[in-house]
Amino acid sequence: MKSVSSRLARCRPLLGTFVEITAAGQDADVVEKSIEAAFEAVRRVHHLMSFHDPDSDVSRLNRARPGEAIVVDAWTRDVLEISTELERTSKGSFNIGVAPALQRLGLLPCSQEPPPALAMPAATAAIELLADKRVCKREPECRVDLGGIAKGYAVDRAVEALHGYGIQGGVVNAGGDLAAFGDEDQVVAIRDPRDPARSLCRVAIKDAALASSGPTFDPLDWSAPRRCAILHPRTGASVRGVCGASVRASSCLIADALTKVVMIQGVAALDVLEHYKASALLVMASGEVAVTGAWRGAYAVAT
Amino acid sequence: MSTWVRWSAPLVAAIALTAPVHAVQYLTIGAAQKLAFPAATRFAEAHVVYRPADIAAIQRISGQPVRTRGEQVWKALAGDRLLGFFILDYVIGKHLVIDYAVSLEPDGRVRRVDVLEYREAYGGEIRNPSWLAQFVGKRSESVLEVNKDIRNISGATLSSRHVTEGVKRVLALYEVRLK
Repeated sequence: MKSVSSRLARCRPLLGTFVEITAAGQDADVVEKSIEAAFEAVRRVHHLMSFHDPDSDVSRLNRARPGEAIVVDAWTRDVLEISTELERTSKGSFNIGVAPALQRLGLLPCSQEPPPALAMPAATAAIELLADKRVCKREPECRVDLGGIAKGYAVDRAVEALHGYGIQGGVVNAGGDLAAFGDEDQVVAIRDPRDPARSLCRVAIKDAALASSGPTFDPLDWSAPRRCAILHPRTGASVRGVCGASVRASSCLIADALTKVVMIQGVAALDVLEHYKASALLVMASGEVAVTGAWRGAYAVAT
Repeated sequence: MSTWVRWSAPLVAAIALTAPVHAVQYLTIGAAQKLAFPAATRFAEAHVVYRPADIAAIQRISGQPVRTRGEQVWKALAGDRLLGFFILDYVIGKHLVIDYAVSLEPDGRVRRVDVLEYREAYGGEIRNPSWLAQFVGKRSESVLEVNKDIRNISGATLSSRHVTEGVKRVLALYEVRLK
């Protein structure tokens, strides 16, 4: 029995970002295997829920005729179900039917004709979840994009894979959407959404998830124009009043999804945050920064 | 009932000074090779130096510019049996570099992509190009001053587009020189 603890970190490009997985345990071989299994979970989510991959569940659903039942993976069904619940709880701010609007703005690729300009259909009305992992869409124009939630779900599934190997402590970080577990506090720097070259603050998290949203950022090209892919569901235009949001929650799926709700609703998102026992930091376009009381109480900003 | 609290950030300046760059070496070349091809008994160097026609062909097939004179390639072998190719590549931004490896099956399908070394600046020094220029092409053990406390950054979504484009270029290299 080896007594020395091994801590390994690995990184792969997946989900359109860099996924870093860190794990610690007694046996280096077991730690390495656990990280492989965790990446496999991320890769599986990527394969099932990619908007770009023509074989993904999402693409098959988007190609389906209205009323045609499609069998999807249990994981996809999970995410669709939670997405529709989030849509209800957030009064329509969280909307997986955002794809046509993103396509019109050139933020998602178009293999089919871009749909005519119309308000985003509510996914709860456009998609029907049937028994036996079957899903069908009711509206022909409906195209699903799980980009606002799949990354968080992938982080949660990766953490679950690490737990399956008895890993004592670890961090899964998918391009800034992350979850940490174990005895140690993990210090996370939060990037300033107004200027990615600066960090706004640091927070310490433990047995929790943290996700952030803001304009997309390219680590290799700072001068590239940055665009915000979060749209207001009623207007179909990019959000303006808020330029960045970070949310802490017990699962990364919820944290990831709620960053979009906070970006869209601003300070009015408090009810939804409380419903999910989440806390948030919000950077307004005016430069003002606000945090929820729970955020301030849960972790004093580490210096 | 919780409310929002206005928050000012007096720490920004201090953090910009103490956290100049986030750099991690995940894997050495040897470790990445073993991870990608656990069954391999040896890795034979098969480095490629481009001929002028190769560069044109790779650019045409991949749609990506070729900025190097060649590519570091190893054949993963079990005895004499070819298990695949291990290609070490870089994506280069204005100031930062990411080292990564593409492992291919013998028929050219991507087996996996691993990041070997990642560097990212998020301190105030990014504004000074000459400060950053010293890191280009260097490995982390050389000169990087890494803030050990910070391993994680959350913020605007990071794009791995450049790596995706690099993999396209590596696949074109396979078509032109390894197939």
